[in-house]
Amino acid sequence: MSNGLNALERPYLVIIGGGKVGFYLARHLIERDYEVTLVEKDAARAEWIEHQMGSVSVMVGDGDEMAFLATTGIERAGVVIACTGDDEDNLVACQLAKGKFGVPRTIARVNNPVNVHAFTALGIDVPVSATELLMGLIESEIAGSDAVRGVAVKSSGANLVDVAMPEVARLVGRKLSEVGLPAGDLVVCIVRAGEPVLPSPDEVIQASDELIVYSRKLDIEGVREALTS
Amino acid sequence: MKVVIVGCGRVGSMLALDLDAAGHEVTIIDERVSAFNRLGDGYNGNMVVGTGIDESVLRRAGIEDADCFCAVTNGDNRNIMAAQVAKVVFEVPRVITRIYDPIREETYREFGMETICSTTIVSSMISTYFTTGSNKAHVEPPPAVVEAQR
Repeated sequence: MSNGLNALERPYLVIIGGGKVGFYLARHLIERDYEVTLVEKDAARAEWIEHQMGSVSVMVGDGDEMAFLATTGIERAGVVIACTGDDEDNLVACQLAKGKFGVPRTIARVNNPVNVHAFTALGIDVPVSATELLMGLIESEIAGSDAVRGVAVKSSGANLVDVAMPEVARLVGRKLSEVGLPAGDLVVCIVRAGEPVLPSPDEVIQASDELIVYSRKLDIEGVREALTS
Repeated sequence: MKVVIVGCGRVGSMLALDLDAAGHEVTIIDERVSAFNRLGDGYNGNMVVGTGIDESVLRRAGIEDADCFCAVTNGDNRNIMAAQVAKVVFEVPRVITRIYDPIREETYREFGMETICSTTIVSSMISTYFTTGSNKAHVEPPPAVVEAQR
């Protein structure tokens, strides 16, 4: 529910790590009128960023050093975003932000996708794996007509999965009520010729439909297979 | 006891040899194969190549039925992350983490972890040696370690 930001105030964000991700993120968020402090450990890099952006507050220091973090005003931040290239550093920065400075929401870049599970288990609110996102996008491009994309639903850990029906899909010509989805999963929308269609049980699935499915299982491929093969 | 150790540096290798000689079932993890040279020929435990924060590597090291887990790489944050994965994801009964930075050690002790800060220990030992002139803290390395590193 809460995204850690009070809509009435100009939100304050602390970004840890001034690499490509941190730099462009900071620039983007400043354009959207967020108050941003960017933490970068390399002094030369920090100076370069300051020169590029002018208005941003860049502080030189380690995002996992308590004493330094205290100087960034982190305790009033609504969100801390750790996006260095080291997963263990991102984890510790977020845990300190939350555990010692009471930051309500932490977002961490996960460099090695295998660490997404650990980050979730260890209390990071939003672990973001660029590799997983890229893999999903690229896969959907090479998979062609039965492309699948998954979007995580925050409150339940479920996914919204977009499944395009190829001509041969076994469900084409059948009613929505005949789709054998696992209990708790649901077709929430049919996209037909670019327009959303309310998914009533009697709706007959057509060849070029896209089904948006709410799926509890993290197995996006499994949903795709169940619906198309 | 079944023990998994992450980091085969000076501390990790000594700990592995010591526990192995004491009859425990030891598995040690390190990213570099060459690190295992420190263990010598007399070591009877297991060695796993990989990073100790990776769940699949930890599984390969038998973490699922380990009694004790020790994180002793030279990276504080790496130790902290590996130890938390061991404790929270795999529910290892005893998890011990070496942390160099005293502030971070205190913080993670507050967070409920079993931590050891070598910096404060060594510093206080040197201070005692300096003020009293007696080196009570001196400890001979275990025989298995002396043998392996000869």
